Amino acid sequence: MEAIRAEGLSKRYGATVALDDLDLAVQPGEVYGYLGPNGAGKTTTIRLLLGLHRPTAGGASLFGIDAWRDPVTAHRRVAYVAGEPFLWPSLTSAETFAFLARVRGRDDAAYRETLIDRFRVDPDKKVRALSKGNRQKVQLVAAFASRAELLILDEPTAGLDPLMEVAFRETVREAKERGQTIFLSSHILSEVEAVCDRVGILRGGRLVDQGTLEQLRHLSAHTVEVTFAGPVPRLPELPGVAVAGAGENALRLEVSGELRPLLAALAELPVVALASREPSLEEIFLHHYDATDGRVGR
Amino acid sequence: MGASGGSATAAIARRAFADGRIRTLSFAALFAFMAFVNVDGYEHSFPTLRDKVEFVRSFGNDASVKLFYGQPYDLLHAGGYVAWRVGGFGAIFAAAWGLLAAVRALRTEEDAGRWELLLAGAVRRRSAYLAVLAAIGGGWLVLWLGLWLGCTAGGLAAGGSAYLALAALTPALVFAGVGALVSQIAPTRRLALELGMVVLALAFLLRTIADTSSGAEWLRWLTPLGWSEQLRAFADPRPLVLVLPVAVGAALLTLAGAIALRRDVGSGLIASHDRRAPRLRLLDSPTAQALRLERGSLLGWFVGVGTFAAIVGVLSTTFEGARLSRSIREELARYGVQALTPTGILGLYFLFFVLAISLFACAQVVAARREEAGQQLETLLSLPVGRRRWLAGRLALATGGAVALALAAALLSWIGARSQGADVSLADMLGAGANCLPATLLFLGLSTLALGAWPRATSGIAYGLVSVAFVWQLFGAALGAPAWLLGVSPFHHVGLVPAQDFKALAAAIMVALAAAALLAAFALFERRDLTGE
Repeated sequence: MEAIRAEGLSKRYGATVALDDLDLAVQPGEVYGYLGPNGAGKTTTIRLLLGLHRPTAGGASLFGIDAWRDPVTAHRRVAYVAGEPFLWPSLTSAETFAFLARVRGRDDAAYRETLIDRFRVDPDKKVRALSKGNRQKVQLVAAFASRAELLILDEPTAGLDPLMEVAFRETVREAKERGQTIFLSSHILSEVEAVCDRVGILRGGRLVDQGTLEQLRHLSAHTVEVTFAGPVPRLPELPGVAVAGAGENALRLEVSGELRPLLAALAELPVVALASREPSLEEIFLHHYDATDGRVGR
Repeated sequence: MGASGGSATAAIARRAFADGRIRTLSFAALFAFMAFVNVDGYEHSFPTLRDKVEFVRSFGNDASVKLFYGQPYDLLHAGGYVAWRVGGFGAIFAAAWGLLAAVRALRTEEDAGRWELLLAGAVRRRSAYLAVLAAIGGGWLVLWLGLWLGCTAGGLAAGGSAYLALAALTPALVFAGVGALVSQIAPTRRLALELGMVVLALAFLLRTIADTSSGAEWLRWLTPLGWSEQLRAFADPRPLVLVLPVAVGAALLTLAGAIALRRDVGSGLIASHDRRAPRLRLLDSPTAQALRLERGSLLGWFVGVGTFAAIVGVLSTTFEGARLSRSIREELARYGVQALTPTGILGLYFLFFVLAISLFACAQVVAARREEAGQQLETLLSLPVGRRRWLAGRLALATGGAVALALAAALLSWIGARSQGADVSLADMLGAGANCLPATLLFLGLSTLALGAWPRATSGIAYGLVSVAFVWQLFGAALGAPAWLLGVSPFHHVGLVPAQDFKALAAAIMVALAAAALLAAFALFERRDLTGE
């Protein structure tokens, strides 16, 4: 039974298509990174998974339980960290933890203390007086301390400082070791690269790519940087090879598919240095967007 | 540079004015309507001099009437009558408007962090503060124009009407100052409003004592609502009294401005208590927690409703009904009251408690909506909490609170009446309390329906329906509206218990409509997306 399953999940708000025909399956124990820029449909997806918004078409289930029709049963196994940390301003952090734990009906008090220390939360301070990052930490502590089977996190590290980012990654790894499933929506690529088993890339409400990092890399272009002993010579037209940048005597090339034709062509030329590397997640990500004008979609 | 600073200030003023425009226009329309209806209704109700004299002798000197309308100075002419009917009641509305306008423009904006954003731009604090004051002044002019138009359209002289409108609206100036000052003192919107409401309640209490107790008339000089009376529009105008509200209003605004220029943005003079040891009571369910968060405002409702119930009870014996003229008896009979015994007075005034408790029910639905708009509901519903359970809990809280308020009103008015030796039974007053509930449930149902169907408009629909229905019941008849049109207001169908019998059929219909509205509300709420601001 998948922890998360979406089939043809779609959502329109008036004329705007926020999510279009999403098929998704997240296995128990998996850490799934859900990547996309602002407005791609990440939060919409999460609201549909939690039954907070109603799908226009298709459906979603958590552990086989329909997310819209039976949210209460599904939520017994889920903890959620909202993208905007709006809590109850007049409650202190400790009171917020107590309230959320009692309503949820389960909570690991000892682990909560560990997390309070790790994230340096001041439990006696009212939420009203907390900065955005600190309110985010309150949400994270409450969610992880629940030890829920499935954690749905919507850009959980927005507003956290680098030290807390380290604490977050450590906590995710602990959850993974315990076999918890994590659905991590983010646009911080290094974070997804560090903790996620599988990645889905969302663009304009559509899932445009999905797989393990290895799979995504395999399908994407390699970057080859060539330095010549003089001015850059003319290269023959080669299929699958594109010039990504040029210096006085260096070239950066994007190569999809076989490297051999390029190497054969370079063998004839005065090459001083040659470096080839796999694409970073950022490059895979940008590959799916029109990075030149900054707009989503091509 | 100077030009851009100036245009930024103008932009702030426009923004603050636009923010309050719906409230301002509603108040202006209310003032215009009340003035027009009363001018028109005066000649209609008291056509001969004899009627007028009798009215002065009976109603004009009644303490319980003065409780709401204040002290009359000339009831033999339409102008003096309107100044009393509109001015006395309107002064309270004007004060509330001034308070709300200032707190909204200053503390709410600062609370939400938008003030900080403004001041981060190329705007001096002083200019920003003055821009807000200009916006409030603009709103005040709109109110003044509305009241003036209502008076002149009804047929009062233009000059006298201008002075009447000025007199009735002076409390708005003073309470804008109060609002500005509490916005500097309190660190949160809620505390600012609560402090301001306490000041308003004190001002009202002082006027009540001054108007209803002999020998205490001098107290009228201590309250802005009393100054409004002392201006004596159309009776014996004393424009010199204007110095008081203008000077006090200006002093308060200057003081508030001085504090605003000196303190840190985002704080108040009272430090907010941001740290405390955990208090873990009332955190076991969303409903318990809602009760915990609404405790303060619940207490405020109880103190307010309870105080006025006790005052109405005490004043119920002051009326001397023997001298009633025929035309007044006819007017009362139209409301269904045959004799102005203490029971009759209490029956008449309990309609105000129907209004208050209905407003309380609306406030609870609006609080529920605020939890949704603030996205706390999203967090709650991501827990194993169903929508139905959450909403039902909120409604149970509203209903329980309404029942308790009705009981408090009944008990305290009975105690007040008995303390004066009035012949009123406890059973009668409990009946009067219970009689508040069908209409309250109906407005609770309709507000919840708004929450289900048009969440963003919940507050406007909820308070709007209650206010319009009540004003229509008070003044619709004076406009000569046909019976069926008067009947659209639920208040029209509330029996004036204990003066009248309980209208069982009307109550049953109201409860049935409430049930239907609630069923529809639940169905809609369970099917829709959660909706933010």
